Amino acid sequence: MKLINRRNFISIVCISFTLVVCGKLLTEKIMGFTDKHYTENIFTCLAFSVLITSVLAAHYYLQRFPLIPVLIGQYAVIVGAVVGLVKIVDAIAGTETNAMWQMILSVTIPYIFSAVLYYISFFKQVRKANSILSQL
Amino acid sequence: MRFVRTKENGLPENYLELHYDKLDEETEEYITRIDRSLAHIEGSCDDMRVTVPVSDVLYFESVDRKTFAYTDSRTVEFRDSLRDLLDKFGDVGFVRISKSAVVNVYKIDHLQGDMNMRAIIFLKNGEKLIMNRGYRKEFFEMIEKMKERNKA
Repeated sequence: MKLINRRNFISIVCISFTLVVCGKLLTEKIMGFTDKHYTENIFTCLAFSVLITSVLAAHYYLQRFPLIPVLIGQYAVIVGAVVGLVKIVDAIAGTETNAMWQMILSVTIPYIFSAVLYYISFFKQVRKANSILSQL
Repeated sequence: MRFVRTKENGLPENYLELHYDKLDEETEEYITRIDRSLAHIEGSCDDMRVTVPVSDVLYFESVDRKTFAYTDSRTVEFRDSLRDLLDKFGDVGFVRISKSAVVNVYKIDHLQGDMNMRAIIFLKNGEKLIMNRGYRKEFFEMIEKMKERNKA
């Protein structure tokens, strides 16, 4: 995986933000849903993109630690940040009753999905390496 | 450049012979690589000076600022650091797998992944080594390069 550094951080945030917003708009179009909190949600998408890119950037520097505690620690940080964000928004503008739960789910599902993909790619890489090693 | 392989019965020792008119870049590169892979390294074992063919080394390990080479039959201590050994033998199949170990790729039997995404390296002599996640990229790039080299 490419190292996320200070130089490419902003561009990666921009790319992921664009993809998240495109996904959001496409899903809304398909479902015929009209977002009443369009502006707030766009900024939430931006906050998520920054958060997730930061987590991925930190992952490189945590490679010397066992993966499972790293994944759990990173997940705890993300959920903590999301809970904090929702509490702030709730204090300023008010949120729906199940906003906290929805936001935690919005983080948990892609996080688990990414972790599973990461695992699959690793085991595929090991299988490929074994096939090369058997030919050497 | 052509590669001719000939089977001869009753040879006391296998040998390589190179025939050339002028030494071009490609041939020189092969000579350098063969020189390195047939090189010997000198170290100490049980207070005696010993020489070990590089190709016999399973892996190098650094313990308490000392560097050891492990072969099938013995453990030899060296003065060189892992960095120096990698500089010398990096292109003949040695690659770093952790902060303290460098493995000979040709001595690996197979890899196995664990839950922490560290790869367990099973050597041909049955020993196991752990490859940290931080060195995985370097390792996989190296074996890809060796695969390409073998194809050529």
